[in-house]
Amino acid sequence: MIVIVETIARLAGWLLLAPLLPGIINKVKAWVAGRRGPPVLQLYYDLGRLWQRGVVLSSLASPGFIAGPAVAWVAIVGAALLLPLGPAGALLSFRGDALLVIYLLALARFGTAWAAMETGSAFEGMGTAREVSYAVLAEAAIITAMLTLSVHAQSITLVEMLTPASGVGAVLLGAGLFTVLLVENCRVPFDDPNTHLELTMIHEAMILDHSGPPLAAILHGASVKLLLFAVLLTESVVPLGHFSGPVACAVLALGVLTVTVGVGLVESLLARLAFRRVPLLLTTAILLCLFALLVAWKGGAA
Amino acid sequence: MMTGWFLGAAVLGLGAGVVAGPRYPRAWLGVTLFSAVALLAAVVPVLAGAPAWDWRSGFLLSGASLHLRLDAVSALFLALLAVVAGAGTAYSHEYWSDRENPKTAPGGRRWWSSLVLCMACVLLASNGLHFLIAWELFTVSAYFLITLNRQQPEVRAAGWLYLAASHAGTLCLFAFFTLLMLATGGWDLGPLPGRTELAPLFWLALAGFGLKSGMFPLHIWLPSAHASAPSHVSAIMSGVSLKLGIYGLVRFSGWLPTPEAAGWVVLGLGAVSALLGAAFALAQNDLKRLLAYCSVENVGIILIGLGAALLGAAHGEVAWGRLALAGALLHVWNHGLFKGLLFLGAGSVLHATGTREMSRLGGLWRVMPWTAGLVALGAVAISGLPPLNGFVSEWLVYLGLIEAVIGHGTEAWIALPATILLAVAGALALASFVKLGATVFLGAPRTHAVEHAHESGPWMRWPMVALAVLCVMIGLLPAAVWPVVARTAAVWQTGVSPQPTPEFLATLGHVQPALALLLGLGVLLLWRRSCRNGLRRGPTWDCGYAEPTARMQYTGGSLADLAGEWFGWLFRPELLSRRPRGFFPAEGLRVARVPETVLERILTPAGGVVLQVSTAVRRMQHGRLQYYILYLLLGLLALGLIAISGGKS
Repeated sequence: MIVIVETIARLAGWLLLAPLLPGIINKVKAWVAGRRGPPVLQLYYDLGRLWQRGVVLSSLASPGFIAGPAVAWVAIVGAALLLPLGPAGALLSFRGDALLVIYLLALARFGTAWAAMETGSAFEGMGTAREVSYAVLAEAAIITAMLTLSVHAQSITLVEMLTPASGVGAVLLGAGLFTVLLVENCRVPFDDPNTHLELTMIHEAMILDHSGPPLAAILHGASVKLLLFAVLLTESVVPLGHFSGPVACAVLALGVLTVTVGVGLVESLLARLAFRRVPLLLTTAILLCLFALLVAWKGGAA
Repeated sequence: MMTGWFLGAAVLGLGAGVVAGPRYPRAWLGVTLFSAVALLAAVVPVLAGAPAWDWRSGFLLSGASLHLRLDAVSALFLALLAVVAGAGTAYSHEYWSDRENPKTAPGGRRWWSSLVLCMACVLLASNGLHFLIAWELFTVSAYFLITLNRQQPEVRAAGWLYLAASHAGTLCLFAFFTLLMLATGGWDLGPLPGRTELAPLFWLALAGFGLKSGMFPLHIWLPSAHASAPSHVSAIMSGVSLKLGIYGLVRFSGWLPTPEAAGWVVLGLGAVSALLGAAFALAQNDLKRLLAYCSVENVGIILIGLGAALLGAAHGEVAWGRLALAGALLHVWNHGLFKGLLFLGAGSVLHATGTREMSRLGGLWRVMPWTAGLVALGAVAISGLPPLNGFVSEWLVYLGLIEAVIGHGTEAWIALPATILLAVAGALALASFVKLGATVFLGAPRTHAVEHAHESGPWMRWPMVALAVLCVMIGLLPAAVWPVVARTAAVWQTGVSPQPTPEFLATLGHVQPALALLLGLGVLLLWRRSCRNGLRRGPTWDCGYAEPTARMQYTGGSLADLAGEWFGWLFRPELLSRRPRGFFPAEGLRVARVPETVLERILTPAGGVVLQVSTAVRRMQHGRLQYYILYLLLGLLALGLIAISGGKS
């Protein structure tokens, strides 16, 4: 019984809090630019409206066009539920759950990429090509980050990996993971969520033909993914295990907020990279994670 | 014991198929399916934990008495053989029927039965000489199956390359078994613990069996052979034949002592195969060639697991070694199942459209919904995504590797890069299969080839469904197959008792069905909601572009271009391009091809040198008698000099 209540509470937390993050990012961007900006709750309004709208399907699209976003949404939310939340621990914890989280995110990628290719549009193909290609490098970075945490904590269970965080290499790992967060969530400098020039987009180009509830699922899934990465980043840098319960919760919330504001600031201060440079930045992220791994390795031997 | 009777029935059935198959297609179908079921019935008790079946006969074959053995390792591979052979048999009944291929279908049936029979014999033989005989017959049967359609020159070339490469491998095996026989004094095979002087023989086995398994860089024969063969043959070649190479490695690394470096080398080769196989797969534009390269990747994953097991065994029995081996063995099954499914799916596409070129296909889901759905399922499974079977085995291999890293020993120095390469290979495989599924089945038809396409009939459809069901079942019930692979991993090198189902695998056994259920519910919910809000069909919006044509779609080539560029140093793509010029351009042209790097850039030039030397030597042979007499005299003189100098010393 308690398990069911806890599951529902966690699910509600993830689902309801996630759309706040893009709102905060947009506020920060508006504030830096001296504008008033859209309300923080704008995404909630958008999602509510989209959920009520009808769907325009491309005449070429198969049922996979709607199944893809649904699969992606479930996979992302499932990955989020596996993530431990500071002192509250994880809903379900077992050896190797870290890999399941990574592969659930890959399943989400498969779902969105498949749905994007349904329409036969060149723009969506372009977005898919970029998404699946950059994911190759991002995957290398994220598995290296996970190895760092594993080596430091001597475990492959997320709860045990994230309690002591990454130790001395935290700064390196944090920088690497932040870069991965930016690329996986399609933020500047990899992608511009506000642009209207399709040729330069990744994620936004993939969803050009989506409308109504499937689009709502995609947008909401993207916000949950952002929250997931923000929580993961905070927990792998800040050793939450050292704090008492309430303090740890506050630190976690503060960390997520910092990451969100950080994304907003990056987006305000940096221009989007030329596509040729993107692999370079991603390779840098891999190297940062690798150095963090070496630090963790040495730390473990000492 | 029943095992013997079942095996005997299977062998009789397959033998009857060889003899009578060409004339009586329906009887052949029945007998071959019966043989597959009998094989399965024979191995199930052993897989379920019955003691190994050992059978010796006084009957002498080539001077050695028959000795068959069915232990857990053989049984695991035999079970896969039975399933894939059964599916392929039923599939070929429609795919390569007498009506469509009156000339080649009868021979195809004969060689198919012979292939399955010889593979079963390889798996059962416990005598080096008979192993070699069965191995050679299996290679030759596969050659005749690959070249069924030998009117086409490319098929003949592929078959020739396969035959040459296979025999290079067989040569190594000849050396291996002969040296083994000389060392042990008999052809009989069995565990030989403690004979450390036999360890160097492992390198011969690695070369011989590695060539068969298609590991990088010994994979040269694989892409063309698998692409040119009829699809049911590709399915069994990729699903099972490659695994016989793995079987050889598993078997003899378990029975014989292995050198210190074996684990390092196998793990390293596996990691390289996984990465480069996936990279080459992404670059292919031929549907079946992509699948063939993907086999290289999956063999790499299996070798990573085997290498980790060897490392673990070399550094004292550690749990992670067996865990990785269990993952590798499960991946043997998984790859056989989903690759069989995908090759059969590719066959359906080829059968319906007559082309394997992905950039000529597109939009097939409308006419071939079954094939499209099944291939999509296979694509998810082969990309190693939860909740299907590919994830379970890759996950076990990962766990073994990461445990090795955490152990902080020297083996971490290879386990660490292997883990990262495995992840990169996984992401590349995902990209390849998005490319495959999307360009073949989604979007608009690109050429006329698609217009007359049709869904495949029941004989082609149900074998695919059966393989897909097995993929789903292993994915949803991983704890149920664990005892099988754990027992096999324990039999691999004697002296270890099988591990009970680990707790984390039991948990995964709950998570995967729950995930599948939630995915289903999510899709249903979104579909219902969309329908209630109103679904309207319209042309693809594409940012308001008014007249999109099918030719403007993203092709597979462009989809892979970005990631392919990073491997440009390896691919060295050949590009032929003629740009449209002037105000009223007549035509433009762009042909891109990724050559077989190892074959065309390394082996062919090396072969050219050999050929040049031979040509130079051939000048000495010109048919003039007086010169030949001179050669003879010179030869005698040289012999005499050697004799005199030898006599002095």
